[in-house]
Amino acid sequence: MKIFFAFLLIIFLVFSGYHLSFRKLRLPLFAHKFYLTGLEFLFLGLLLGPQFLNILDVKTCGALAPVTALLLGWIGMLFGFQFEFSILRRFPRVYFLAGLLESLLTLLVVFGGIYFTLPFILTISEHMRIVISMVLASAAACTAQTGLAMFSVGKIGANQSIIKILRYLSSVDGLVAMLALMPVFIFFPRSTDIAASRFVFGYDIFIAVIIFVAFLILYNLFLVYRREQSELALIIIGMVIFISGFSSVMNFSPLLSNFFMGVCLVNLTTEKEKIFNTLVSIEKPVYLLLLVFLGSAWHLQSFWVLAYAGGYFVFRFAGKMIGGFSISLLGPKMKEYPPGLGLGLIGQGGLSLAILYDFQQGFQSEIVDMVVGIALISISYFDLVCPSLVGRLLKKGE
Amino acid sequence: MSVAGGAAAEKRGVMPQSIAKKDHLFSYLLIIVFMGLLGLWIKGIDIETGRQQAGVIIFSLGFVMLSAYVLAQLVRFFNLPMLTGYIFAGIIAGPYISGFLTIEMVDRLRLIDDLALSFIALMAGGELRLSLIAQRGKSIILSIIFVTALVIGLVMGCIISMGHYFNVTSGFNFISLLIFSILIGVICVARSPSSAIAVIKECEAKGPFTGMILAVTVVTDVLIIIIFTIAMSLSKILLKGGSVIQLTEISGLMLETLASLVIGVVLGQVISFYMDRIRRDFLLFLLFVAFAVARLSIGFNHLMEVQYDISLHLEPLLICMSAGFFIQNFSRFGTYFLESLDKMSLPIYALFFSIAGASLNFDSLILCWPLAIIIVAARMIGLFGGSWLSGIISHDPSVFNRNAWMTYVTQAGVSIGLAQIAARQFPEIGIHLYTVVLAIIAINQIIGPIIFKLALNNVGESSDSSTLN
Repeated sequence: MKIFFAFLLIIFLVFSGYHLSFRKLRLPLFAHKFYLTGLEFLFLGLLLGPQFLNILDVKTCGALAPVTALLLGWIGMLFGFQFEFSILRRFPRVYFLAGLLESLLTLLVVFGGIYFTLPFILTISEHMRIVISMVLASAAACTAQTGLAMFSVGKIGANQSIIKILRYLSSVDGLVAMLALMPVFIFFPRSTDIAASRFVFGYDIFIAVIIFVAFLILYNLFLVYRREQSELALIIIGMVIFISGFSSVMNFSPLLSNFFMGVCLVNLTTEKEKIFNTLVSIEKPVYLLLLVFLGSAWHLQSFWVLAYAGGYFVFRFAGKMIGGFSISLLGPKMKEYPPGLGLGLIGQGGLSLAILYDFQQGFQSEIVDMVVGIALISISYFDLVCPSLVGRLLKKGE
Repeated sequence: MSVAGGAAAEKRGVMPQSIAKKDHLFSYLLIIVFMGLLGLWIKGIDIETGRQQAGVIIFSLGFVMLSAYVLAQLVRFFNLPMLTGYIFAGIIAGPYISGFLTIEMVDRLRLIDDLALSFIALMAGGELRLSLIAQRGKSIILSIIFVTALVIGLVMGCIISMGHYFNVTSGFNFISLLIFSILIGVICVARSPSSAIAVIKECEAKGPFTGMILAVTVVTDVLIIIIFTIAMSLSKILLKGGSVIQLTEISGLMLETLASLVIGVVLGQVISFYMDRIRRDFLLFLLFVAFAVARLSIGFNHLMEVQYDISLHLEPLLICMSAGFFIQNFSRFGTYFLESLDKMSLPIYALFFSIAGASLNFDSLILCWPLAIIIVAARMIGLFGGSWLSGIISHDPSVFNRNAWMTYVTQAGVSIGLAQIAARQFPEIGIHLYTVVLAIIAINQIIGPIIFKLALNNVGESSDSSTLN
């Protein structure tokens, strides 16, 4: 009973807050930024979770696993749809390289920072140290566009070129994050025997490729004939759940599986417009639901986590600034942009949260919960300061 | 796409119908092969962790949805309703054929079931137009009266006269047999509004016949609870002696029904308000409403029993039908409401009826198929006799009178719920009663949608029959 009441409450909160979050409101500036990012749903999830009201307890969230699998798969597939090669090719290649480079540099800086500081905070095995560092670095590599939403048309109009490059970079830099996440689910099953691990790894890769091809063929069989919109919705929901479930059974990531499927579909199928419209139609509620689930799993053990989150904030900020500076040196086209381009790439968004939740579902433990909690605090910091930093960048660009 | 917008869709050439169908069939068969292979692969994996167990449930949900869709497309080649395909998918995937969906998994998918049922009930209520009910009020009332009386009478007569021939009932004394026959007779009156609305929507059926049968089905579902309670009271008198029917039980039940209807009206107003002022993401709002009703009813029922020791149950089905009825007939948004519901109907039906198919109990059917077939036949005769008689008296067209009974055959969840209540109240005959009801439902749910569609075609109110005409 609790399970269903909890789900009911989640849906209601998501829904009532959706309109609060994504409409123009006349609120004090701090509250405006807070509501714009949807952060209140994170805190509402926290309220409902085991730390406070315990409506969304562990058992309840377990029973709602099909929903979370759908959410992760949906976000993964939607992100995969960003990578339509024919569209990407229309932009200068240097932009794409800039996105990858900026993301990679952020990843390396954050990975290094966390890897070397983690032993001072937690006592964990070497392989978990690598896993945690890689996941947090992947989440750090992503950028969201929430900061840009704060600005008036006039302000944006004066900085068209900067806005354009920021949007492009934030669309593609998640690719590095997703590719970096792959080894986490592939290289670290559960065996400590190196030889056995290598065999298992090789076998798993082979099987994964076969199964992925089978799913791709299945999708194409469904899509080979034109379908009504309602039929397409059923097929997509069914396939996302199908693939997510299969991934969970294989100890892989539903987010990644559906991401790769999205990339293949957008480049191979003629129904991509209709699929994309279906995916986008419930993007916002999916995102808000994810925030609630993340919030419910948010564990705040002590006030030290605020300091640790500050550390993550510093590493990511440094990574983005280094990345932004480096790409401004990538040839004449990029020299048009200010070296402080990293200020516009500070926002973290849905994909980072999805990565964190995917990690939490795949590697369930108290340490993982703590690490994800720290990252969530840091993401909150970023989302709150992001508009100011973007404003500073745009002012420099004028 | 997020970078610079999407490309235009590719145009397709038109193919001759016969060649196109053959290719479709081949692609669906290939889909089944691939899905089957993936399903077998999953079955072969050792499930060790909680995450993998959850993964199996998630996988099964996706599998059921997709296979229901494919089978529904396949049965269309044989001019059968898609509902039949959904049910067959559930039966094949269920615990009695492939065993892919275990009984435990089916239980864990109840969340989807409750959600879907509330949604379907909203649609059923929304399809009831007051103007049509007013036009055919006499037919509707007479049909309910005659069908109820004849079904109960014939089923009771069959069981009492032939009960000693069947293993299930041969050990009963006369009183037990009488009680058994009364309760089965009443349960046989129950229909399936969800199946009715699904077939009607698939066939895009419209007209006086469609309106009438939907009204009869929905109203019967409201009345059956009252009739069942009277039957239960009567049965208790027979079992324990005494001569007075407990009026408190009946009045309590009337109060429950009224409360559910009133709450439904309030809900209808809330939904209308939402459509008027906000309207955005209405589909998701409706999903929330459907789910809220399903779950809050259970919570309320539990609260009343545990906290106040009062048996006061709200019926989610009644609440949603009432809400849908209010929106259609007392607000400006009836058309928009139904159009919005239509957009999400396909995934909902596929899930709901495939789970229903997986829930059908074939063990029961194997145990008592002779008795079940006799009862099904008696029920059909009662349905035919009652609807024909009421049609004659109401001067309905003869084609209505000949075909109406075919639309009343489907049975589903309400009957199971009533059987469970009866089984708890009369433990000495409970398990036998429940078994027989499950067997009857298994038969009716398979053949019901098929002959329902046939009836709509015969009367000429489905889009298929209109196209042919």
